Amino acid sequence: MSQPTGVIHDIGYRHYDGPRLGRGAAAVALGVHSLRGTFGLGRTFKSKIMPFLLFGAMMLPAVVSIAIMALLKQAPMSYTDYAIFMQAVIAIFLAAQAPVLVAPDLRHRVIPLYMSRPITIIDYIGAKLAAMMVALLILLAVPLTVQFIGEMLIDLPMPLHTHEYLAALGGSLFSAVLLTSIGLTLASFTPRRGLGVASVIAFYMFTLATSAVLTGVLESEGYRDASSWSILINPFFLVNAVQTNLFGTQPVEGLPFPSGAGPALILVAVVALALSGLYLRYRKALAA
Amino acid sequence: MELRSTVPIMTILATEALTKRYPRVTALDQLTVSVGTGVTGLVGANGAGKSTLIKILLGLVPASEGSAQVLGLDPATQGQEIRRSVGYMPEHDCLPPDQSATEFVVHMARMSGLPRTAARERAADTLRHVGLQEERYRPIGGYSTGMKQRVKLAQALVHDPKVIFLDEPTNGLDPQGRDEMLRLVHRIGTEFGISVLVCSHLLGELERICDNVIVIEGGRLLRASAIGELTQASQVISVEVEEGLEKLAARLTEVGETVAVEGRALSLQVRADETYDLLRDAVVDLELNLVRLEQRHARIEDVFR
Repeated sequence: MSQPTGVIHDIGYRHYDGPRLGRGAAAVALGVHSLRGTFGLGRTFKSKIMPFLLFGAMMLPAVVSIAIMALLKQAPMSYTDYAIFMQAVIAIFLAAQAPVLVAPDLRHRVIPLYMSRPITIIDYIGAKLAAMMVALLILLAVPLTVQFIGEMLIDLPMPLHTHEYLAALGGSLFSAVLLTSIGLTLASFTPRRGLGVASVIAFYMFTLATSAVLTGVLESEGYRDASSWSILINPFFLVNAVQTNLFGTQPVEGLPFPSGAGPALILVAVVALALSGLYLRYRKALAA
Repeated sequence: MELRSTVPIMTILATEALTKRYPRVTALDQLTVSVGTGVTGLVGANGAGKSTLIKILLGLVPASEGSAQVLGLDPATQGQEIRRSVGYMPEHDCLPPDQSATEFVVHMARMSGLPRTAARERAADTLRHVGLQEERYRPIGGYSTGMKQRVKLAQALVHDPKVIFLDEPTNGLDPQGRDEMLRLVHRIGTEFGISVLVCSHLLGELERICDNVIVIEGGRLLRASAIGELTQASQVISVEVEEGLEKLAARLTEVGETVAVEGRALSLQVRADETYDLLRDAVVDLELNLVRLEQRHARIEDVFR
């Protein structure tokens, strides 16, 4: 068929003959789209409030710390303990935003539309995990970095805390991986966002309380060994223990974490367990 | 090179003794069909295996036995390539209510591998083609069923597929919405040059827009034919007279027509055009008062009568 010539307005159907990127490009696009979603970007104003409020809260200690360094010439706030002190804020961020990533697609049955495209369920889950991890990494690493830049600019009468800063960045990565795996898996078990938020928060509160109570009881009964392990029930302490053992930094509040590879193995096991749960969850969703 | 509009008929998809067994039910049983270009209807009651067939063709579910091919590709091993060139509109709701149609369709275009700019252009084009105007910027949650069906169709078309699978596209629509949707499906198959496989449990609906129809029941092929053959074979008219229905039936049987008394009406198989003449003459001869004479819509049940 010869193409019509001299036609200016063609309102008929036009075929697309431009580039078709593969599965990888689609997965990356989904990851970026999801990451923007965790901060409410490209969404309504209402969905931006929570993430930005929490991000602001995370920045607060860094800003105060910079002010103290500048005015009183004192050491900055501990880099390696930052996540421990801010754990409530981080947990709320995870609880509020993990369901945003997974619940709507499950609830409104959008997943079959993804599956009718080149993208696979592994790509889908991978993109969601990556988005949440990067979001948490931003939440954790930006305040640390801002504080470190502040420390570099203010001439303190002491060496820079470069090692602590880098160790804390490593710890941030572990936190991001661990919290994302747990948070997304818990959130994916219910298609309702509100329930997802509640289940993640409940899980955090449970580990917080269990860790504190068990540790206290075991210690008062004289089981020092068992008590040092039971601290690790709280995911934030687990990460702190891994960070301490791996980078040789000071543990938070001088806690007697178990030394060696134990905590790291627990972390890997928990992540593996959570990810298997997530995978099975979506396998089930696909079969339905 | 655009080949699809110049190639007259080619096989878009085919199955060979395709069987799918679930632990408690056989969804497809030795199904062998072949679908060419144009609009093809897939008719069957709920649970006849239509959705299972689509899932296998998309490469999402493995077949228990038999084989299939879509656009010359094997769903069992080349599902990804198939899904690049195929669009799918599910039967169920699948739209997030808090996004606008534009945002959603752009996102789905990107999930099909279109670059950002192309995705935007295609989404705008496609939404215009399915008939969504200014409302496409509003959240989908506020749409009518008809508008939602259009968005579902748009997301299946946005990447310009070669084949599109539509699962009950007229579900939940009022008669006018049905007509519009059917017209749209017909345009996709003709003007747009995209082959269509459209599922429905209503044969009457499909006969208006399809070139060919495949009827399945309990996962088995009941019939596959051009729409002309099918409606001819199942052409039945319904006759109602004031009194003397039995006399009319007797007279028509006498002259070699096939009739059956169904309550107050008489159903008459149309053999050829002369059947109408014979009926007219019989009514006149017997001096009956003709109350109603209408063409009965072919239903699935008629196909296997």
